[in-house]
Amino acid sequence: MKIKLLAAFLFFSPLAFGQSVISGKITDDKGLPVRGASISIDNTIDGSTTDSTGHFEFTTEEKGPQALIATEATHTEASFPITINGDVKDLKLSMKTAFNRLNEVVIAAGAFEASNDKSKSMLTTMDIVTTAGANADVVKAIQTLPGTQQQGTQTGLFVRGGDASEAAVIIDAMVVQNAFFSGAPGVATRSRFSPFQFKGVSFSSGGYSSRYGQALSSVLELNTLDLPEKSTVNLGFNMAGVYASGSKLWKNSGGEVSLSYNNLAPFYKLANTNVTYDKVPEGINGSGKYAWKPNKDGLVKVMFNSSAFKSSTTVPDPDSVGSQLGFGIKSQTYYGTISYRQLLKEKWNIYTALGMSYNRDDIDYKSALFSGYKFTNKDQRLQYRLEGKYDFSNRFNLMAGVELQHFSFERVFDSAGYAYTPNYTENSFALYTEAEWKPGKKIAFRPGIRYEHSELLNQDVIAPRLSMAIRAGSFGQFALAGGVFYQNPDNLYLLSGYRPKYQQAVHYIANYQWNKSDRTLRAEVYYKEYNQLVREKVSTFNPSQFRNFVIANVDNSGYGYAKGLELFWRDKKTVKNLDYWVSYSYIDTRRLYSNYLAEATPTFISDHNLSLISKYYIEKLQTQINMTYSYATGRPYYNQSNPAFLSDRTPEYHNLSFTVNYLTHIKKWFTVVYAGVDNVTNQHNVFGYRYSSDGSTRTEVKPALYRSFFVGVNFSLTEFNKDEL
Amino acid sequence: MRKQILMAATAMLLTGSAFAQNFTEVLQKTFTAFDTTQDQQKKLEASNKLNLIAKKFDKEWLSSYYAAYAKVGLTYNETDVAKKDAWLDEAETFINESVAVLGKDNDETHVLKAMIANARIGVDPKNRWQKYGKVFDENLDKAKELNPDNPRIYLMRGISKFFTPKMFGGGKKAAMPYFEKTDALFVANPAMDISKPYWGRQTNAWFMGQAKGEDKE
Repeated sequence: MKIKLLAAFLFFSPLAFGQSVISGKITDDKGLPVRGASISIDNTIDGSTTDSTGHFEFTTEEKGPQALIATEATHTEASFPITINGDVKDLKLSMKTAFNRLNEVVIAAGAFEASNDKSKSMLTTMDIVTTAGANADVVKAIQTLPGTQQQGTQTGLFVRGGDASEAAVIIDAMVVQNAFFSGAPGVATRSRFSPFQFKGVSFSSGGYSSRYGQALSSVLELNTLDLPEKSTVNLGFNMAGVYASGSKLWKNSGGEVSLSYNNLAPFYKLANTNVTYDKVPEGINGSGKYAWKPNKDGLVKVMFNSSAFKSSTTVPDPDSVGSQLGFGIKSQTYYGTISYRQLLKEKWNIYTALGMSYNRDDIDYKSALFSGYKFTNKDQRLQYRLEGKYDFSNRFNLMAGVELQHFSFERVFDSAGYAYTPNYTENSFALYTEAEWKPGKKIAFRPGIRYEHSELLNQDVIAPRLSMAIRAGSFGQFALAGGVFYQNPDNLYLLSGYRPKYQQAVHYIANYQWNKSDRTLRAEVYYKEYNQLVREKVSTFNPSQFRNFVIANVDNSGYGYAKGLELFWRDKKTVKNLDYWVSYSYIDTRRLYSNYLAEATPTFISDHNLSLISKYYIEKLQTQINMTYSYATGRPYYNQSNPAFLSDRTPEYHNLSFTVNYLTHIKKWFTVVYAGVDNVTNQHNVFGYRYSSDGSTRTEVKPALYRSFFVGVNFSLTEFNKDEL
Repeated sequence: MRKQILMAATAMLLTGSAFAQNFTEVLQKTFTAFDTTQDQQKKLEASNKLNLIAKKFDKEWLSSYYAAYAKVGLTYNETDVAKKDAWLDEAETFINESVAVLGKDNDETHVLKAMIANARIGVDPKNRWQKYGKVFDENLDKAKELNPDNPRIYLMRGISKFFTPKMFGGGKKAAMPYFEKTDALFVANPAMDISKPYWGRQTNAWFMGQAKGEDKE
């Protein structure tokens, strides 16, 4: 009986139950304790959680060889074999810090992405909208990024030593024919797009993907929204006009329409203009979009946009210094695309798109040299793209595509007794492929190759491209990019009947990027080589940038280079509600091209460019205050009395802009009141000088506006879902 | 005597093994441990236990459902952004397992998906509301189609409204009807059965109290 009792006691004691104590400590690869890790015996619920010192302890009835499993969200799961014959204490276990998605390497050299859905992007479309001085112009906002040049009298994006023609604008992988409004010579115009229609903007200042060609310097990629977020109505007016738009979201599809009437009379009334508007720009713009999801992973988009405007301006005549030029224009544009994207079995990604555009400008030209003549510019483009991407694994994918372009340009001079209709038609064809390979989470390669054929130039070229990136530390990465890029000669030459060959640029880019909790540092150096640039063999230089005729021998003997250093710093964290970024670019570039007499730094280049952008939100006042300050060193101009070609420099450029956005609601309408001042100090920036033919007098090349004011209000009503309750 | 000892021993053994094996009981106990503490270390322990339960009872949709719920709950007391996202990744994996076991979503899995989306927004509101706001809405709409009497649908909407600035149609006043509706549904169905998710009553009561205050302009 005694023995039996003893046995019973033994039976009740933990030992008799066969319970063993398992204890120890878990540390990470740096030797720091891992808190909150789950540690357990595989296939049981016997386990525990580590405390803040990494310690754990639990009991189990399991015996013999077992596996201890440790899991923790930010570490990779670890397994440790143990043998249980009684207590196992003071285990020393270690777990590896997981490489989370945020730390995965991304190909970044050369590109700035603004996106609403990527966690890594440096800018969002909202950042673009709220950049002071940009007046919600996407391209103007992009000009605050490194690699770009401040412009005041010329339209377009000037990137890393390249002129405006070297930057392509792409919407949903389709080339945009005329990204900017047509304007009088010397009057810079804005881009046609409202940033609100895009979910993502990617600005590449070099080394871009083999998907694109026909841009020696840069590609600005804009991706339109898919289905609208919600059904909304949007109304507004400002000093440039009135507009209304609406979107409707159905179950698997969505539509949007917008209409605007623009009249810049109020705007020009308040601004200091340097040109005379005989008739202020006035026009209408309409657009429509329909997006449909035929299935979970497919999307069909149809878009249409049309605009018409007219204006009449008197500007300094670029061809005759000291005299005035009357420039009347009636412009119309039509643009339509249809695209289809489909993801198949989560492996295949197919994209195909067809785009059409037509533009017509009727120009009335009254200069001192020509008492008045009319001409019409007409261009049309038909384009098609088919692209497929296959994911072999999440480490390797391969993309291939084909791009067809049909493009024609015609100019009709319609003057009494003078009929001349220069024109050309280009059919081009491109094949491209690109692979993305990530042998590890820390390293990525993206080689690509593009074949291009031009019927007009009767030429075939092959353009290889390569990007790669390697992770350095938890928050940094190095990247390299490079490639060969081709572009047709400028319209000016093709229209005059010249058929030179492709121009070429070769890019070499090295980049370092550091990202940590809302702070970003980016440094980039590059070297760019220009070959086969189109050159006119002239003996005298005509400094007008708006020449319509070329009378000289033209060949591909031009060349040049650009090299530079660019820095970007953005900080959203240090001061609450303050977001600012600084971008600085240094460039050294020279080229012999166009009608240049010698290799020189082009007239659109400032060696140093600096932009400071800040946005501060005052919660109590529901007000956002945005400021932009831009600075650029002087740019070259032509002085015929200086024997060194283009060696004079203009004064420095300064511009300070403010905008204020006040957010409120009027009934159910979300309301934004915005007001801005561009060039607050009324700085008289000079973009060059033009000398009279005898060199005795010179006139300043001025922007169309100095200080200007802009005020507007936007109301939006989102469908109130009464079904919610 | 011998008989008694043996019986006692057998009883203890039985309860012990029954305790380990009885899925709903262990689930109920662990879930309650999680839901009734504010101590993050205790929450971590309970959440890890729910992980193990989900792994062991992988044929039960509820096991991974509660594991997912706990992961979201952990994020509310954490400041490390990377950790929050890592937990939400885990929560997504768990809820997808639930759906896989069920064969398709039910109202509760939709609500939990909305809850995850809401927590994602909480990590970085300015940059995420657009993307995850849509996921949030879609899931709650679908949940409502399946079961309009699920109080957690309105609780989620109410909380979202509560934290939305007034100028975007949110605020305390706008959120109140949602909390009231949630409350009515909880009153109508007071059951607290682990096999049918019932969480949210206390949270709703707390928010109702908060929403009575005045809106800041």
